[in-house]
Amino acid sequence: MNFDALFDHIGQHTVDGLAKGAIYALVALGYTLVYGVLRLINFAHSEVFMVGTFAVMWTWIGIGAGNTPSIGIAILLLVLGGLVGAAASGGTAVLVELVAYRHLRRKNAPSLVFLITAIGVSLSLTEIFGIFTGNGERKIQGMPTILNQSIAIDFLGVEITNLQLIVLAAAFLMMIGLDQFINKTRYGRGVRAVAQNPDTAALMGVNKDRVIVLIFALGGLMAGVAAVLWNMRYGFTRFDIGFVIGLKAFTAAVLGGIGNLRGALVGGLLLGVIEVYFATLTASKWEDVFAFIVLVVVLMFRPTGLLGESLGRARA
Amino acid sequence: MLLEIDNVTLHYGRIQALHGISLNVNEGEVVALIGANGAGKTTTMRAISGLRPVSSGRIRFNGEDITNVRADLRVIRGIGQSPEGRGVFPGMTVRENLDMGAYTRRDAAGIAEDMERVLTLFPRLQERIKQNGGTLSGGEQQMLAVGRALMSRPKLLLLDEPSMGLAPMLIQQIFSIITEINEQGTTVLVVEQNAQQALSRAHRAYVLETGNIVKEGTGQDLLHDPAVKAAYLGVA
Repeated sequence: MNFDALFDHIGQHTVDGLAKGAIYALVALGYTLVYGVLRLINFAHSEVFMVGTFAVMWTWIGIGAGNTPSIGIAILLLVLGGLVGAAASGGTAVLVELVAYRHLRRKNAPSLVFLITAIGVSLSLTEIFGIFTGNGERKIQGMPTILNQSIAIDFLGVEITNLQLIVLAAAFLMMIGLDQFINKTRYGRGVRAVAQNPDTAALMGVNKDRVIVLIFALGGLMAGVAAVLWNMRYGFTRFDIGFVIGLKAFTAAVLGGIGNLRGALVGGLLLGVIEVYFATLTASKWEDVFAFIVLVVVLMFRPTGLLGESLGRARA
Repeated sequence: MLLEIDNVTLHYGRIQALHGISLNVNEGEVVALIGANGAGKTTTMRAISGLRPVSSGRIRFNGEDITNVRADLRVIRGIGQSPEGRGVFPGMTVRENLDMGAYTRRDAAGIAEDMERVLTLFPRLQERIKQNGGTLSGGEQQMLAVGRALMSRPKLLLLDEPSMGLAPMLIQQIFSIITEINEQGTTVLVVEQNAQQALSRAHRAYVLETGNIVKEGTGQDLLHDPAVKAAYLGVA
């Protein structure tokens, strides 16, 4: 364990971890929204993210984006990518609900059936994209580098790149927007009502199916924004990209308290920081191992996560 | 006739809970439905509000057949309910709970007016306005559930066991408020185990036993009926 490498640059590693975790947090919101309302772990959500990365990539390549364009074009591509990613991921999530889950609810299927369906949808989407993208070669697909990374802020030796700033700002803005929507608007109240007591919500005139479509759309939208940030940061995607990201985002949701929107943010950022710390300590070899050790330890000692659930039950 | 239930049966799986019940509620009335535990009172409420599908029979409201209308759409037609167990949203403030009652409405002025009216009827809710529903006492939650149902400005107000778990003084109070709500123009169908209170406040009443309506009459008639006295009023 290389403790010097960690503690000599602890500030830098924290910033790197937060930027990494912001993407997990955005994806985690989708798990947490669906779980909060339906008590369902939507394992297909990882593919909702994957579809977003492809949609953004195709858009960028389709309009002929080149490497490191001028700053104006880069912002344009970022915004366009965000819109396309949000639409593609949101649309995919809603489609999964309409095609798969809604029919199971009509039949009062047991929760195990939902879970297996979720895994089935996840595998189907993965394989469909494996077959039909990149000539079926199942390889990593690169895309233009949209942003020329540079140091935007140098604060007491902690360097924050322009990309990290964009990722963190986008994640926080989306998060604040979602939080306001859920807690302050009429539709948000409808979502919370269904989460807290579905029967009484119906007696208030809330259309449960419409609320469910809404939460899938919102979760997909967040995953779509995560997808464009991922593409900017890493510059590649692949048909099975969702698997590890999805699992880590799910870990983040559980870490913060699944069903709790702010918990998803806290869990995501924390997981990113933990990963970067352990990557530094072990020269990257054990990074993923520790992410999942964290999941197991949290489930053992605090199964409700750090902040506990809030969407469904009373806030403590 | 505001509400007309015609020969309704209802099953939970293989168990039949309602064996063809018929009852009606006229505009302006307070109608009580009394019966023992498990008689089918709450099931009848769930059939009227649409939370459980009926197996056969028809339900008509305001002249229209609503038997196959979804629960959330029945609210728009004018059925408001305070459900069994109160159904307060525990993680929402009192104000948010009341706002939920007006979920289907868009007339901001009318909503504000009704909020004022509910908070006048239940001053205790005004004191607790920023507290979460889950932190209220049983009696306060009952007031919240009734007040919330009023926020939809219903033509018909369904009250499921409004006296459940309340101290005798609070029971008196809640029934006085029910009478007041009725006098302000809302038709009320109330399901109660507390037959004494319900019958003395109701214009008419039905007695439910194991999924069948076995008796009906004015509140006063049933209050003095020997069989009802023996079974529900604890008088030999």
